[in-house]
Amino acid sequence: MFFFRNYKSLILVTLIFIFALIMLSYSIKYDKGEGIFRKIVLEAVAPFQSFSHFIVKSVDDSWERYVTLVGLVEKNKQLTKTIHELKAELLIYKEGYLEAKRLSTLLALRESLDYAFVAARVIAKKQTALSKTIVIDKGSFDGLKTGMPVVAPPGLVGRLINVSWNVSKVLLITDENSNVDAILHRTRVQGIFSGAGLHEGKLKYITKNQDVIRGDTIISSGMGGVFPKGLLIGQVKNVEKQNKELFLKIDVTTFVDFSKLEEVLVLVSEENEGK
Amino acid sequence: MAYYLLLPLLSLLVIALQTVLADIIFLGRLAIEISFIVVIYAGFRLDLAKGALLAFVFGFVLDCMTSPVIGLFTVIYILVFLCSFILSFILDIEKIHFIALFGFLCALIKEIFVIIFYNLVLNFDTVMNIPFICLPQAIIIGLLTPLFFYLMRRLEVFFYGKPFHRTERTGDSRISAKI
Repeated sequence: MFFFRNYKSLILVTLIFIFALIMLSYSIKYDKGEGIFRKIVLEAVAPFQSFSHFIVKSVDDSWERYVTLVGLVEKNKQLTKTIHELKAELLIYKEGYLEAKRLSTLLALRESLDYAFVAARVIAKKQTALSKTIVIDKGSFDGLKTGMPVVAPPGLVGRLINVSWNVSKVLLITDENSNVDAILHRTRVQGIFSGAGLHEGKLKYITKNQDVIRGDTIISSGMGGVFPKGLLIGQVKNVEKQNKELFLKIDVTTFVDFSKLEEVLVLVSEENEGK
Repeated sequence: MAYYLLLPLLSLLVIALQTVLADIIFLGRLAIEISFIVVIYAGFRLDLAKGALLAFVFGFVLDCMTSPVIGLFTVIYILVFLCSFILSFILDIEKIHFIALFGFLCALIKEIFVIIFYNLVLNFDTVMNIPFICLPQAIIIGLLTPLFFYLMRRLEVFFYGKPFHRTERTGDSRISAKI
């Protein structure tokens, strides 16, 4: 072959090859992988590898983010749907829990009083400026009669004014037309509790010389034959002595929160005949 | 002169690139030996001295980076270059299937040689890798070699206006010994 004519190239190639063989032989026998050339090459190639790794990683990350985003819309829809379903379910459970809590309180009240009760659910509220009434889902078929007292934790709610077969109307103690014979728990002073609007009432006919202070508890006196004795009505909010008046002006806050009333107990008989 | 100065840098770049590509495409299980294809290409295109030096540098850098012994790939690359160089006088590189076959055979022989070397000299039990690693890698090189040749020819046309022809091959002059 004609390339043998060029001796310089041939000698050079032969020398390179022999050098490579010597290098290989030496490496097999003595190299422990810590040669200086290996270190130099590794150091030299490191920036390239680092840079290319950075590029590859960036592309890879971008691609992964893109792929993730593609699936993310569908996943987001599914998760939103699941959240709504779970929220609805949670609401049902919460309602159940709150109902159980209310009923438990109601039960505690029922057990604390020696009366026969009929539990009823509030189905409507009519608390306007002039009329403060609620409608319950029990009527004469359940043994209810007009005038029966209605209670709810922690105290008195009102009395039945209209009783139908399956529903009844309750006049709340906060109604302007409602009057309850009451006494101050601390001093046993007797008066009349009258409704004066939502959550509010007044204790009337307490003379000026009586000891009434803010925070005094008012309970039903049991007189008049409508409400049993000892039912909690409210708490004295404010006491005013007016010069021209014979009686004290006593503002009362009721214990029962009528805006959150959902279940009530109707006292169907004065004494629990079972006991 | 620039060729000899840039050669180590080029070898580092090519080997770093092939490592990264192998990591991306095959997750490091298989290698894409672009350096090996470059050596084959050098056998067909470059002068004896320049090509031999290229094979030496590429092999040496690859040894430093991947081989447990220095010199193994250096020797193999020089041998591959010499085979290509000799074959370039017989084989027409315009025929893609010849190039692909030659690349495949060279790669396969190289892989088998490496495995035998590891087995006999270093006592590595790697014979089982022949069908799972050697053959796929040889196929990859066989497929990539014609592509590489095609791209390089397009580059040659882009830079020189026509495909590059080695002087020895045309028979216009003696083999260059200039370094």
